[in-house]
Amino acid sequence: MILNLSSYRSLTGYFLGAFLAFATLPALAGVEEGSEKFVRSLADKAVHSLTTADTPRLERIKRFRELFRESFAVTSVGKFVLGRNWRRASDDEKKEYLTLFEDLMVVTYVDRFQRYAGEALKVTKSRAENDNIATVFSEIQRPGGIKPIRVDWRIGTNGTIYKILDVIVEGTSMSNTLRSDFGSIVRRQGGKVAGLITALREKTEALKAEAQ
Amino acid sequence: MGINELVTMMVQTTFMNRDVAPMMFSRLFALLICALVMTGCATAPAPGDRDAVADFEEINDPFEPTNRGVFTVNRALDRLALKPAATVYRKGLPEFVQDRIGDILANLRSPVIFLNDVLQGEGVRAAHTLMRFVINSTLGLGGFMDMATAMDIEGHDEDFGQTLAVWGVPEGPFMMLPVFGPSNPRDTVGLVVDFLTDPLSIWAVNTDREYASFARAGVQAVDARSDTLDLLDDVEKSSLDFYAAIRSLYRQRRADAISNGEGSANFPAPGLSQSPLGPVLDDNEELSRSAFR
Repeated sequence: MILNLSSYRSLTGYFLGAFLAFATLPALAGVEEGSEKFVRSLADKAVHSLTTADTPRLERIKRFRELFRESFAVTSVGKFVLGRNWRRASDDEKKEYLTLFEDLMVVTYVDRFQRYAGEALKVTKSRAENDNIATVFSEIQRPGGIKPIRVDWRIGTNGTIYKILDVIVEGTSMSNTLRSDFGSIVRRQGGKVAGLITALREKTEALKAEAQ
Repeated sequence: MGINELVTMMVQTTFMNRDVAPMMFSRLFALLICALVMTGCATAPAPGDRDAVADFEEINDPFEPTNRGVFTVNRALDRLALKPAATVYRKGLPEFVQDRIGDILANLRSPVIFLNDVLQGEGVRAAHTLMRFVINSTLGLGGFMDMATAMDIEGHDEDFGQTLAVWGVPEGPFMMLPVFGPSNPRDTVGLVVDFLTDPLSIWAVNTDREYASFARAGVQAVDARSDTLDLLDDVEKSSLDFYAAIRSLYRQRRADAISNGEGSANFPAPGLSQSPLGPVLDDNEELSRSAFR
């Protein structure tokens, strides 16, 4: 009996081991690893370009815009945020919307990145969602024994480039919050994307004026 | 019907039958609130307009006009009283004093957290909360110092709203409560039950010392607001519709709290709006990138 049981166990162990090997190996070598590397290098770049002392704010915004363009999936996120209103927009509206969306993201995120760029970002784990998407879980360490901030990065790739699809801070998703925010404006403007574009233009102009 | 009977009834409804209760619960609430704010219900879209109906259900805010009104009043109150107080608290008090106030408030909250850990069947978390309460009330000099965290027994939060969620009670429509802020029927019941099960407030009520409850609630509000000064300024500055952003953020924060921080990656993601998995990088992404180079 005892012998039988133990051989049964080792057989299970064998199958389990084989299964795990097949299940985890391809994933480990793929999108997760690349995404983790991408997030780490992004953090380094942010520290490099944003924490230099006494850089004028306009210069910081300029540098951040470069970083933003190479690492943020503006078109994918912009489309997601607009939801089904994307289909309703004309080509000109789409173009202007994406430009204004980038402006808004750059001007609002430059300060958030700046605030944390000096703190250490620790990647805790990552998970492949499919062949082209991974979630990288990280913590931003805070000084003075304050609880670290949980930041999850949803990264999309086509094999050669990696870009941010979402930033989830303490369980709140940037893309989903924007989608509710913008969606509400479109609805209140009678379903017109033009109304959203006007609101975006006013917002970015006010923020830019403040940045001068 | 007084508020007390109402709460008792709602709690009884919730406990009565786990399958039927959620439905009864949300219907009861919807009826009640509609009766209270007859004028402030949003017009439901025509049933034929499928997109609009889907929107209406996803937003789940049938009392939006009333809620927005309450939000405006809350913001005015915040600007007049809470935010200035929180700013003085954050910038004017030495950090040591702020930390001690935070520790005392957290320790006072422990019994309610423990109760809800137990009600949710979270044994390990309940044990942690209990240990924290014992350690901090003794070694920590009555909650004055958070010794438990120094011993690597870290704290967490729970409330009865989260317990109801774990039991399967749906959140119901979004509600903006006067003074208390964003909520929903489930979390409103949670708020009341938390108050009724809190040892300090029971003691205060039984000994005619209600002022103790009020004082603590006041300090708690200022302390909590001081934690969100930068965050809320940021959201207000960057959002187009502050109300809609707050509504979304509140729901996400609650979902995160209910899952004890484990559910955050399950969002619908850019690229594929319907699927929780698998946004595909847009084809134009590479083009736009090379255009900038």
